[in-house]
Amino acid sequence: MRASSTHQSIQRWSGYLFLCPYLAVFAVFLALPFFYGLGLSLVQWEMLSETPAKFVGMRNYREALGDAYFWKALWATVRFVVMTTPLTVGAALLIALGLHAIKGRRQGLYRTLYFLPTLISISVAGILWRWFYTSEFGLFNALLQKIGWSIPFINDPKLAMKSIVAMTLWWTVGGPVVILLAGLHQIPRQYYEAAEIDGAGPLAMLRHVTLPQLRPVLLFALVMNLIGSFQVFGQTFIITWGGPELSTRVLVQYIYETAFRNYRMGYGAAMSWLLFMVVLVLSIAQFRLMREK
Amino acid sequence: MMAEEKNHGRRGNHGTIPYRKILLEALIVAGALLLVAPVVLIFLTAFKPDAEIVRFQGILPRHWTWANFHQIFDNVEEIPIFRWLWNSCFISTLITCWVLLLDSLAAYGLARLNLPGKKIAFSVIVATLMIPGQILLVPVYLILNRMGMLDTPWALIVPAGAGAFGVFLLHQFFLGIPRDLEDAAAIDGCNRLRIYWHLILPLSKPALATLGIFVFIGSWNDFLGPLVFLDSVDQYTLPVGVALFQTSYYTEYGLSLAASVICTIPVLIAFVLFQRHIIEGITLSGLKE
Repeated sequence: MRASSTHQSIQRWSGYLFLCPYLAVFAVFLALPFFYGLGLSLVQWEMLSETPAKFVGMRNYREALGDAYFWKALWATVRFVVMTTPLTVGAALLIALGLHAIKGRRQGLYRTLYFLPTLISISVAGILWRWFYTSEFGLFNALLQKIGWSIPFINDPKLAMKSIVAMTLWWTVGGPVVILLAGLHQIPRQYYEAAEIDGAGPLAMLRHVTLPQLRPVLLFALVMNLIGSFQVFGQTFIITWGGPELSTRVLVQYIYETAFRNYRMGYGAAMSWLLFMVVLVLSIAQFRLMREK
Repeated sequence: MMAEEKNHGRRGNHGTIPYRKILLEALIVAGALLLVAPVVLIFLTAFKPDAEIVRFQGILPRHWTWANFHQIFDNVEEIPIFRWLWNSCFISTLITCWVLLLDSLAAYGLARLNLPGKKIAFSVIVATLMIPGQILLVPVYLILNRMGMLDTPWALIVPAGAGAFGVFLLHQFFLGIPRDLEDAAAIDGCNRLRIYWHLILPLSKPALATLGIFVFIGSWNDFLGPLVFLDSVDQYTLPVGVALFQTSYYTEYGLSLAASVICTIPVLIAFVLFQRHIIEGITLSGLKE
């Protein structure tokens, strides 16, 4: 009796052998860096210097709060997110609703076209849009010139981030379109039939059937977009290199420069954790906000 | 004609609907074309001589030319684009195999075996989906440095296996495979490894293809990882190589766009071949209750 139960428990635990390879990599490259990063944020360490790492407590965090460049980078990031997330998910919702109303194979074809830009590498997309935006030989200004206009898309600190947002909308709108469209497909037909019997028009149906039913998927799309947007880097790095006047230098670029150009690992890790906190708090807030009516 | 007549017969509410539908579809098509146009422009502009790029004279090249491509291929010392192409192929292929292997093993254990504490393990793994990858950059860099993997392809390949997305996706798929099949195989004397290999994996081909193509395109387009973990020009992947070399040829857009074409073609081919899987993958990721 006893032998068999030991045997059984060995048998049960041995199933973890299937998880071992994944868990090993997970432990070393996800769990460990997660906490290692927290530890790093509490030390002062210049990677290239001889002096060993020194525990400094919260000093890196205090430095960040007093660092004008940190605030500027955070502000640039927040501006980007506040413009990008509502714009992208809002546009995606409109497109998905439009696509949903089109029946048959054409719907799939159009969906594919909307999704296509998402597949372009950020280097390629960045090179392309820098050529679109640039003042001297740019495509947009060449076209605008014909009606006597000229817009300094990426040369004006006030305009540069908006130009980056417009490019991002083009590049990323396809993802949420596909997700939201799939969400629309999942809404049971009976709900619409019931609403029709009650005499609801298209707008009433949208308000009382579609949007409430779509809420979980919409929430997912919003949170994913928010998390992604806070990590923006490639666009600004390639198109504007953080300029003009640092107006598009976002947090990830500042962290990148701090850690991998100036090799200030502790300070870089601390700013990474601040970024994580902001993202976490906002994601939770968004979940809360959407959960309750 | 017939249709028109019919609508005429049932005026009121329904009479205007076809026009609305046509208008709606026209808007959708216009939007789609607007989004695709820049992608088409990459290809057309790469075949323009520099003078036509700098001074825009129309969407189509007036003089089609391979000059931009020649300039890259004649300069492989400075712009080792084939080396980058090879690196990208090597890294993306290995990452794809690596992720499929680790994730399918783990997902099988979590979805099909009666493991003690597996619910907690699964929740912890899925919770890490909320961690933005960027915040791990500094510590992962230092760990790779300690392991001597920086500036080698392994710096990108090995850590790629830690992501939770694939485990989650395959877990959901494996749950749907009927238990009876597995029981029958067990009665026939198959052990669990053989069940995994000969039963579960063949039944999961669509899910594996979806995940595989997803991982492949994601790693092909990855920018920040190679930028930080690779140092020497010979080790670069295509996107990083293309992005960095264009800083020294800042105004030569023709050259950059020709390189962009080379960088984009493999992704477009993968997309055309596997687009159903790609769309399914996003759908699955978004529609978890």
